[in-house]
Order: sequence, then structure tokens, then C-alpha cells
Amino acid sequence: MNNFTEHQRFFGGSFAALIASLLLLSACATGPASPEGSLEAREKLTALQNDSELAGHARSEIREAEQAVQLAEKPLPASDGTLASHRVYMADHKVEIARAKATTRLAEAQRATLDEQRGDARLRARTREADKAHADAARARSSEAEMKKRLDDLEAKPTERGMVVTLGDVLFDTGSSDLRDSAGKNLDKLASFLGQYPDHRLLIEGHTDNVGSSDYNQRLSLMRAESVKQYLTGKGIRSQRLSVSGMGMQNPIAANSTAAGRQQNRRVEIVIEPPPYVSSTTTRM
Amino acid sequence: MHRIFKPLLIAPMATSVIIAAIFATLVGCASAPEPPTASLAKAASTIDDAERAGARQYAGADLDEAKARFAQAEGALESEKMTEAGQFAEQAGVAADLAMARTEAAKASEINRQLHQDADALDTEMKRKGDQR
Repeated sequence: MNNFTEHQRFFGGSFAALIASLLLLSACATGPASPEGSLEAREKLTALQNDSELAGHARSEIREAEQAVQLAEKPLPASDGTLASHRVYMADHKVEIARAKATTRLAEAQRATLDEQRGDARLRARTREADKAHADAARARSSEAEMKKRLDDLEAKPTERGMVVTLGDVLFDTGSSDLRDSAGKNLDKLASFLGQYPDHRLLIEGHTDNVGSSDYNQRLSLMRAESVKQYLTGKGIRSQRLSVSGMGMQNPIAANSTAAGRQQNRRVEIVIEPPPYVSSTTTRM
Repeated sequence: MHRIFKPLLIAPMATSVIIAAIFATLVGCASAPEPPTASLAKAASTIDDAERAGARQYAGADLDEAKARFAQAEGALESEKMTEAGQFAEQAGVAADLAMARTEAAKASEINRQLHQDADALDTEMKRKGDQR
């Protein structure tokens, strides 16, 4: 300002410039009211700001929208209608952008919870599956142990044909296919085993020593095998599960030259077949 | 120029201050006469981004709006109405921003819906499996 006092003679020129500047300023001067549409933008912004769920998720966008709305609210002369509506347009859009971004971020925040829920569901599913597998294994183990115990009880011996229960000669009267009462106890165990394992089958084979004709021994071995089958069907075992065959004197397990050997050879062998069945189920003669 | 301000040249400080004031006022009030290249480029690239993000599907109306404003900006540019062109370019840009924001919001909501369904389905499935035992 010192310049003006020092250069008084040029004050006139400066003053003219000042007037010009003021005139120009007045062109920008204020009109009476906020432009049309700015009120709606303000209302939308206020609604968003008051939305406790959304507002926190778009703070900077809301700030930007606030500035845009404030600019849009600035009164402009009627001649600046284009600028006014431009500012309103910008303000309105910035509010909507803030709302959309807040919606996105809210969804993302909720997603973490959803992921957790889904993870929980997965976990529950896996736990259930694991429990089931565990229980299945335990059941399998116990049933395996159980079966082994029952087979031991039956005095079943492992052979290449499977577990074999041998009923000795003493269970039959000499030359007879009738079962002695003492056989009942062992066969009852067999019947109970078949009751517990309904998918197992039996192959019942009669064997004899070499005393007598081959035909006689064949018949006798078959009849003894049939006796066993009849006893078991009498205990409720379906006959389809029981195959019988008479092997006669074909398969001795001991020498027929001694009485003890011959006694060993007179026997009924019962092969226990677990499913799936490998050996033939047809009745051999 | 020289002729107009010739009497003021003798007082360079004073005049420069005043001239600066006048120019500042002019700039504050009037619009730049250059074409709104930056605004147009920004609007165009945002429209492209929005389309790539799937705005056609999720925010079709906003995408159309942005394109319409962009066309208006180009029209104004051709008629050398730079102020208008600048405003339309800015409007196109902000409309494209909105198309983009709404597309993202729609996608986010869709993902959440899907997650909800997945979790529910998994639970239902497991419940069913559990009941079978």
C-alpha cells in the first residue's frame, strides 16, 4: 500500500484497475437462494451420514460429498444456471458414490463373519465326518475282535480255504450219521455265529476213513454232512447258506493204518465262508 | 498490451499487484478456455473400467448416463464450448465412478448372498448326512 502513497500521481490508474476488478467480482457475486436440487442432495447426504451402519465405511467419500454439496448449495445468479445444475449433479453423484462404496465395504466386513460361519459349518461337517469315521473304525475293530473271539470259541482253524471247524468222529455213532447230543453244543455255537454274521455261509464236508467200500464211505460222509446241515436249519439257519458235500475217503488228514489216524479221518469239516464268496456254493456230491 | 498498461509501467510494484488481482478474479470467475482433455480422458477410462467390471449387468442405467454425458461433452467440444465440455466431462466421469461403485456394491452383495447359501447348504447337507446314521 505504501506504493500508492509514494506514487500518488499514478493513483488514478490504479483506482481504475480496482474498479475494474470490483466489477469483475460483482459478476461472481451471490444470488438470493441455493440452487435448485441442492436441497435434495443435502437430504440424501444427511440420510447417509445418519446411517450408523454405512456412515463409518465411507468417511472420506462422505467428506468429499459434503464438500460437493456445500459447493452446490452456494447461491449463484440465475444466469449461472448451467454451473448451478452442474454442481448439483456432481454433489448428487458424489453422495451416491459414497453410499455405494459404503455398501461395498459393509458387505466386505460382513463377509468376514460369513466366512467364519461357513468355516464353522465346514468344521462342524468335518468333525461329524471324523466322528463317524472314528466310530466306524471302532465298530469294525470291535467286530473284528468279536469275530476272532467267536471263531476261537468254535475252535476254528485257519486254512487256505478259510476258517475251518472240524467236528470229530466222536460226535457221531460208529457207522451212523446221527449226531450225538454232545455235538449239539458246538453246533449251537456255530448257529449263533451264523445268526450274528448273516452274510457268512458254510461249506459242510463229510470225510471218512478207508474202512468199507468207497460208495459206502461216500454216502456216509454225505449223510453226516447232511445231518449237520439239518441240525443247523433246525436252529433257524436258511438252507441256502449251507452247502454240503460228501468227500468219502478222498481227503484223509492222518494215516489210515492206525486206529488213531482212522479216527482223525472220520470227521466233518465246516468251512466258514465270509462274503464275498470265493468257493463254489453248489452242493458237491 | 504494452500500450494499455504503458502509464502503469512507471510503478511496477503497484501495478503488478493490481494486475495479479484482476487476473486472479478473472481466473476465479471465468472458465479455462482450453479443451477439458484431462477430464475427458479420466471419464473415458472410468467408463472403460466400469464396463470391464460388469457395469452393463450391474449398473446399466448409470453406465448409459455416463456415456450420454460423455457424448454431450464431445458435442460441446466440437462446438468449442469449452466450459460446457468441461462440465459434461466431469459429469461423465462422476457418473462412471458411480456406475463402478454400484457395480462393486452389487457384486459384493451377491458374493455375500452366495456365502450365506453355501453355509446354509453345507449345514443342511451335514444335518442330512448325520440323520442318515
